[in-house]
Amino acid sequence: MSEDSLPVLKILIIGPSGAGKSAHCDDQFDPESTTATIGIDFKPFHHAAVSNSHSKAGQERFRTLSTSYYRGAHAVILVYDITSRKSFLSMEKWIDEARSSASPDAVLYLVGSKLDKVATGGRAVSFEEGKAFAESQGAGFCEVSSKTRENVRQPFVEVVDRIVQRPELLASTAPASSTAGLNLGGLGSNYSSACPC
Amino acid sequence: MESLGDEPWDVVICGTGLQQSLLALALSRSNKRILHVDPNDYYGEHEAAFSLQEADSWAATHAGRSTEEDSSVEKRQPIFKNASVWKHPDAADLGLLSPHAYSLALAPQIIHTRSKILEQLVSSQAYRQVVFLAVGSFFVFDAEATDSSPKLARIPSSREDVFATKAIPVKSKRYLMKFLKFVIDHDSEEQKPVWQGQEQKLLSEFLASEFKLDENLQKYILALTLSLDGLITVADGLATIHRHLTSMGVFGPGFCAVYPKWGGSSEIAQVACRAGAVGGGIYMLDTEANVSNSPDGHEISLELSNGISVRTTKLVTSQQDALPDAQTITRLIAVVNSPLKPLFETVVEGAPTPAVAVVVFPGQITENSPIYAFVHSSETGECLIGQSVIYLTTLACRQSAQRLESALDDLLAAATPEGSPAPVSLYKLQYEQTVSAREPLITTREETRTFAFPSPSLSLTFDDGCLGPVKDAWKLVMGDTALETEYMVFQDREGVGDDDDVYDL
Repeated sequence: MSEDSLPVLKILIIGPSGAGKSAHCDDQFDPESTTATIGIDFKPFHHAAVSNSHSKAGQERFRTLSTSYYRGAHAVILVYDITSRKSFLSMEKWIDEARSSASPDAVLYLVGSKLDKVATGGRAVSFEEGKAFAESQGAGFCEVSSKTRENVRQPFVEVVDRIVQRPELLASTAPASSTAGLNLGGLGSNYSSACPC
Repeated sequence: MESLGDEPWDVVICGTGLQQSLLALALSRSNKRILHVDPNDYYGEHEAAFSLQEADSWAATHAGRSTEEDSSVEKRQPIFKNASVWKHPDAADLGLLSPHAYSLALAPQIIHTRSKILEQLVSSQAYRQVVFLAVGSFFVFDAEATDSSPKLARIPSSREDVFATKAIPVKSKRYLMKFLKFVIDHDSEEQKPVWQGQEQKLLSEFLASEFKLDENLQKYILALTLSLDGLITVADGLATIHRHLTSMGVFGPGFCAVYPKWGGSSEIAQVACRAGAVGGGIYMLDTEANVSNSPDGHEISLELSNGISVRTTKLVTSQQDALPDAQTITRLIAVVNSPLKPLFETVVEGAPTPAVAVVVFPGQITENSPIYAFVHSSETGECLIGQSVIYLTTLACRQSAQRLESALDDLLAAATPEGSPAPVSLYKLQYEQTVSAREPLITTREETRTFAFPSPSLSLTFDDGCLGPVKDAWKLVMGDTALETEYMVFQDREGVGDDDDVYDL
């Protein structure tokens, strides 16, 4: 199997504005050290495409992510801010949307962010409450701080772990499908020169 | 968080139909302040794609029948009407599960590979988020076919194909080849005299008189035009066949058109809106916008249904009212419990497995307009594996609903190998679609501009004509800063190919 044909995992990170999703995946997720943690079992899963979530804030503010955004996602990480009850309370709607728009087999994972704020008395949602809610939704759970890096790798490791336990999820989005999409990009400049015969 | 009402917006776009969405894409690197709202709680407006629940509720709100008494001049008529759904009583047992897994396109169009929209999606990088699938064979249904010849005859798609087929007598082949050669450069000085003066004649008559094509071959050629009334003129017909032939092979062997996975134009609209959001646009669905006071000429005030008032100088929207007596089509969408494999065979070496097949039921001279069926395999993501979705279209008339139903039955019977169980329809959605006025509606009042796109064309192939108004609206928003050479030409966003970061694990 060449590296190019290895499956790409698509993991979405979504949640209300200001929950700290961008900090979580852009600055603090270190793919190098994750390699060591994940180990040999994950060798076939060469790439994980982690959605750069801050860039679509314009659709998260009013929870208007299009269903097309969820296409082919293997996992959805939902992030709320543990210092904001409002942020936590919105999770149910986010989960509903993820359920109805993503593949029914997609892994869901709940993340409480800004764990560092606990030291200054900022916590508004307890760990137990977050965990209980995640369990009731069949989702994994952890709390993280992108500032102190506490637990930042855990969501990705656990999500990948859960994905590989669901072979049907990988099968349904395998790139080797007989009618994989056509490559339009490489031919961008050939519009005028392509032979019509 | 800044409030939406504080500052005036550079443009407010209402509706997420394909044209408004392409405008959002075109403006996505402009740094304009853009508010994009849609009164519906789904993307795509007239080009939306629906899960079964969404289809149910859409049909309920578009069930309105127009009676003779209703159609007075004052009465506003919608683009879609007479919608109804039907569900098999044992649908769940027969495999109609997880209603969310379906994506039924309201107005599916195939896109010829030479269409300008593909060029724009490539140059704007938006194509990276769309999966394009191949449109495969075109078939003609022959009701009179006897046991020895199949009821579904595949139209040969290339010269090699014409030579190889046994369905056409050798003599006819020669005429057909002569015609195909002519079409390729029918616009040249050398070939023009052949059809000059006959531009407005019926294509079928021209095929008979100039190229001696028999009735069967005329049917083949007419089928390729996908003309709704079958009465296509020589000028339009030659241009359409030319597009068909020259689109063959542009992106790979064996196909002339593509279809975006997961609902066609709806998917392009969603991807274009996402580009708008990545560019900083704010998106609100389920939000109606009403012009709240008569504009004083400096600004347009809009009252949103969530109570917020916003201000702008430019409002872009779409026309919602049908043009009286405009062409109307009846559509029938059926989810069937068979993959209908025989329709999706590859016929050219190296061709991708097609996800869409086209079946044409030629019209009967003057009485009946042709019926077109687009058969979508589960590879389109529009239904579950083992099923297919069939989109049938014909001009609306008193019997058009029944005609579509019987064409569906004929198609299912003809596409099923003998001895196999007959496929069953699990879910059906039927409705009528018409058009608004065909020109954009532009209102100028002092410094404010309102621009309303026409409703989508009824054409079964993507109509490049709808791209002109998008560019016009873009110019209107950009004003003096519009640089035409930069229209829809964008670099990849920083990082990687699209808005995803790829990490090596």
